[in-house]
Amino acid sequence: MSEAPKTDHAYDGIEEYDNPLPGWWKWLFIASIVFSPFYWVYYHNGAKGRSIEDQYGVALAENTRLQFAEIGDLKVDGPTIAKFMAKDSWVKVGESVFRANCVSCHGREGEGKVGPNLTDEAFKNITVLADIGKVINNGAGNGAMPKWSNRLHINEIVLVSAYVANLRGKNVEGGRPEEGNKIAPWPEPVAEEESGEEGDAKS
Amino acid sequence: MDTHVANQSEQADAADGTTTQRSTVLESFSYDDGIVRLFATATIVWALVGTLAGLFVALLLVMPTLTEGIPWLSFGRLRPLHTNAAIFAFAGNAIFAAVYYSTQRLCKARMWSDTLSRLHFWGWQAIIVAAAVTLPLGITQSREYAELEWPIDIAIAVVWLLIFGGNFLMTLINRRERHMYVALWFYIATIVTVAVLHVFNNLVVPAGLFKGYSVYAGVQDAFMQWWYGHNAVAFFLTTPFLGLMYYFLPKAADRPVFSYRLSIIHFWSLVFIYIWAGPHHLHYTALPEWASTLGMLFSLMLWMPSWGGMINGLLTLRGAWHKVAADPVLKFFVVGVTFYGMSTFEGPMLSIKSVNSLSHYTDWTIAHVHSGALGWNGFMAFGMLYWLLPRIFQTKIWSDKLVSLHFWTGTLGILLYIVPIYAAGLMQGLMWRAMDETGNLQYPDFIETVQSIVPLWWVRVLGGALYVGGIVMLCINALFTWFGRPDSYDVPVYSAPRLTDDYQDEPKPKSDLDDVPMLDSAKSLSVWARMGWHRRWERLPVKFTVLTTLAVVIATLFELVPTFLIRSNVPTIATVKPYTPLELAGRHIFVSEGCYNCHSQMIRPIVAETKRYGEYSKPGEFIYDRPFQWGSRRIGPDLAREGGRQSSFWHWRHFENPAYVSPGSVMPSYEHLLTEEMNFDAIAPHVKAAWQLGAPYSDEDLNNTAEVAYKQAERIAAEIVAQGGPASTMDTQAVALIAYLQRIGIDLFATPEPEAAENGGDAAAETAVESEDAASETEADDETE
Repeated sequence: MSEAPKTDHAYDGIEEYDNPLPGWWKWLFIASIVFSPFYWVYYHNGAKGRSIEDQYGVALAENTRLQFAEIGDLKVDGPTIAKFMAKDSWVKVGESVFRANCVSCHGREGEGKVGPNLTDEAFKNITVLADIGKVINNGAGNGAMPKWSNRLHINEIVLVSAYVANLRGKNVEGGRPEEGNKIAPWPEPVAEEESGEEGDAKS
Repeated sequence: MDTHVANQSEQADAADGTTTQRSTVLESFSYDDGIVRLFATATIVWALVGTLAGLFVALLLVMPTLTEGIPWLSFGRLRPLHTNAAIFAFAGNAIFAAVYYSTQRLCKARMWSDTLSRLHFWGWQAIIVAAAVTLPLGITQSREYAELEWPIDIAIAVVWLLIFGGNFLMTLINRRERHMYVALWFYIATIVTVAVLHVFNNLVVPAGLFKGYSVYAGVQDAFMQWWYGHNAVAFFLTTPFLGLMYYFLPKAADRPVFSYRLSIIHFWSLVFIYIWAGPHHLHYTALPEWASTLGMLFSLMLWMPSWGGMINGLLTLRGAWHKVAADPVLKFFVVGVTFYGMSTFEGPMLSIKSVNSLSHYTDWTIAHVHSGALGWNGFMAFGMLYWLLPRIFQTKIWSDKLVSLHFWTGTLGILLYIVPIYAAGLMQGLMWRAMDETGNLQYPDFIETVQSIVPLWWVRVLGGALYVGGIVMLCINALFTWFGRPDSYDVPVYSAPRLTDDYQDEPKPKSDLDDVPMLDSAKSLSVWARMGWHRRWERLPVKFTVLTTLAVVIATLFELVPTFLIRSNVPTIATVKPYTPLELAGRHIFVSEGCYNCHSQMIRPIVAETKRYGEYSKPGEFIYDRPFQWGSRRIGPDLAREGGRQSSFWHWRHFENPAYVSPGSVMPSYEHLLTEEMNFDAIAPHVKAAWQLGAPYSDEDLNNTAEVAYKQAERIAAEIVAQGGPASTMDTQAVALIAYLQRIGIDLFATPEPEAAENGGDAAAETAVESEDAASETEADDETE
């Protein structure tokens, strides 16, 4: 045991060695101090693209591109909803939106909780397909259905409408009883060039 | 034992005598160990209470319906009780026991006033009891670790600063040991800084005896609170425990401290740097980015100063490791110091912004604080207690085996607590941010992310139970040791010379480099590095206290002044209006119920987060938020954009039974809000306080508060009926809370009213709801650009 010199201090019997600062300790401490101004200058010299807000803007644009570059900005109308009802991969996006925002009232499977059952044949505020988009956009029933126009991207509204439209007729067990009126079936999906990938719309 | 101590002190005197003047009159004195017995007993009792409360709230998370219908047993109200009991009751009393035992011996002086010591003890216990009563009743400021309301805060200031601080400083001044040992420096820093933090974080305008409104709002309030919150950890749970370590560890190991010089450098760097680090609790929030960067950089710089304490603790045991194997007291200390090292490495790591973006709001933070609290604070306190018990009760410890068993049970308990909770934090954080290949959230349903960690919460309950089990062993051992005490305690009398005024400092140390041909400045630097200058400070307690205060206050002002003075920190948003009287009352309920314990109100500019919750939060949105409600943990989802997201009737059903609308929810029922009546006449003081603090309210709001509030309640009740809910709900507390929830985060999207007449808040709020969409569309477009 290498004995460094002791100091002449003694307090209630406690003595102290006069060991120097451990080298690695001293240099790591100095390194952390030296690092700081460089970090500061890099992130706070006003250069564009380095602030958290700038980085968020880039990430959001990237995400929007990833999601919607293929389809551009959609319109919330019947034909568009009908078209996407048949596109499995896009309905899945709608499902994701549904699970993030709608399940607390309409239930995980759309069976209805505080909000109506979406899997039966009766509808309260809807007569044609386009109405689904309208109700989601603007709300209904004195605010029982909140409006989502300021919370969701317009494409998300179309896609969640398509997902919800597809729920019709699944008649999930243990759902809320039917409310509203029976309405005409949705129009047949427009036979389009991609209709080959239609697949099972109920997934 | 006692004669041994006396001999050593005499030796020390003899050593002193050679360097000091010939000693004058010998004075006789004894130590007040009665006060140590009181504080040690209180430590043990509160250790049990505080950890049992923790175990109980841990159970509530896995069994949310356990206390169905009993408002004062809800998680939101009891979690603060657990944290306060653990910090201020358990750790607090442990600190006091350590201070009263060691200070007297390090100063060779009895505490200055036995009366003040007793007032301190009973005053502090009364404060703890007041906390234990008011917190379950929902009387809270909602500032984490500063929840207690203003009358109790005043009592804390008096007991802490005047009674405890005064008694301590006077003891220092009347000491018989020339120099102050490093433990005392840490005690000084503790007393001064906690007083400063406590006073400036708790400045309020009272609205009645049980409610105060913070003089700070929104961003500034958050800044102040986390300046406090972080430094409460620093100066309540770190510095006093370092002081404790510096006294009890070398005593128990009977080894000299590793390095005097290291203790000086790490003390001052710790004190100066710690105080800057608070903003790292607010990364990616609406706090200005420069402050957040400062918080991160100073946290990184804090790593080595913190480890200085660990090194001095562990290396003091060099050559004594065989004792560690045999002595459970040292085992507790070794594990405690090791956990200190782990936590103070992890702290700087968590303060790195990108790491924090993952860890913030998750259980990772909970695991981090528990490795500190259970490992460092708990084990240091237990080690100290087991060393003290035979000495203060002047008998053998009842069972050595039980001490060992406590050590192993406690260690296993800590591991079983923190390992699953680290995993839970990491898992939930990763699930929140996970995106699928189409750019959508992989786990859009929040409850799914909660349900996946519930099994880990169960393991935590088991770990916690083991840790509590260890404390039960401590209680038994302490009780039986106490039974074995002598009929009357032996009070040894010591003698030492009084300090003379004509002390000459030791001669300036010679440079090692005197014979080496080099610059004079290098030589004087090497002399400076021998710390003779600091040796002088160590015999001047008042100067030392002033310098410590300066270090803390100056560092604080560097951060605080710009936060308050630079206007661009909080850009004004024209559409943000004060809460209506009813919303303010609802907000009060939100605070009382402790909703912030599980729900944040702060959406960070991170894509996965804005996709889940909506547009990220802006600083200007919070200018009427007193106190801020940003939260620190998301056991439930963020509520910053909750307004208008659900129907009012949905909220009603949700309060009644959260699991009905959200199967798998761990939120307890708040059915009592549906039946308890809203006292509309009690709203006025709240509006008045907000108005005094600068929120613009109309005369109607101020003078006719109850009526204005009732009208809004009727509108919401009508809404609930129209949405299919029950009739006549307007008199309930739930409706006020719904009014508040429907208001959160919607002002940002309101279109500015064209020169509207000042006819009160609700009208403004309504326009806001009406016209959200247009504004938000442009907002979203801007972001994509």
